[in-house]
Amino acid sequence: MKLVPTPGARLLFHLDRQEAFLLPQILQLYPRIPPAHQALSRTGRIPHPEANQQLLNEALAEQRAENRQQVLALLADRQRFAPTKTGGRLSLAPAEVEWLLQVLNDIRIGSWIQLNEPEAMPPKLDDVSVRDLLFMEIAGFFELQLLAALHKEE
Amino acid sequence: MAGIATPEIQPGLVQTTEDRPKSSLDPGYLVICWNDPVNYVDYVTHVFQKVFGWARAKAEFHMRQVHEQGKSVLARESLEKAEHYVHQLQKYSLHATMERDE
Repeated sequence: MKLVPTPGARLLFHLDRQEAFLLPQILQLYPRIPPAHQALSRTGRIPHPEANQQLLNEALAEQRAENRQQVLALLADRQRFAPTKTGGRLSLAPAEVEWLLQVLNDIRIGSWIQLNEPEAMPPKLDDVSVRDLLFMEIAGFFELQLLAALHKEE
Repeated sequence: MAGIATPEIQPGLVQTTEDRPKSSLDPGYLVICWNDPVNYVDYVTHVFQKVFGWARAKAEFHMRQVHEQGKSVLARESLEKAEHYVHQLQKYSLHATMERDE
């Protein structure tokens, strides 16, 4: 995944064949973090902890539904994501990079949760865990490419 | 479609933030980011820059604190602002919570 220098604010990436195949596959997994997984407070010593937690859950669920629509729109939009002879082309506005980072990290963290949140990877994994580990690493790969591109732009 | 309600201002009455309940304005809530073994350090730094508008050096300082000490207090804010920041950090799937500063 290479950032192609272009005039203007949009970021244009060239993807090789493997990347152009994997990106839509991995994005289809979104969202992977289970609903109501994130806690607002550890101690619960905040006013109306249950009601506030409920509000946070609803806000995050709404955000994920919106992100999911944006993912589907991106994958269907040939102006932004299109196959080429050598792989694919991905064109993103700076704000789209931000939500794509959120989406990819959700897939990465959600896959890690599926693996039971290990501190380090166990030496032996069953087939399901290997699949989750792959999802986690592939999402992480694209995440790092986007971050590197943002640093380059800076 | 619902219209936008216009606040009714009465002559001689000045509404200030002091009219709001103290508990929602008192900057007594800590926004904390906790360590986990899965988020990339570059990603955490980037999110701190985006959410708080910090320079890279300050974001890296807090990222290192999270990584090395297990957590970092990112802000001390009112209830609403602390909730807002936790929501923003969780949108990026960081492990962030708010706790009463006691």
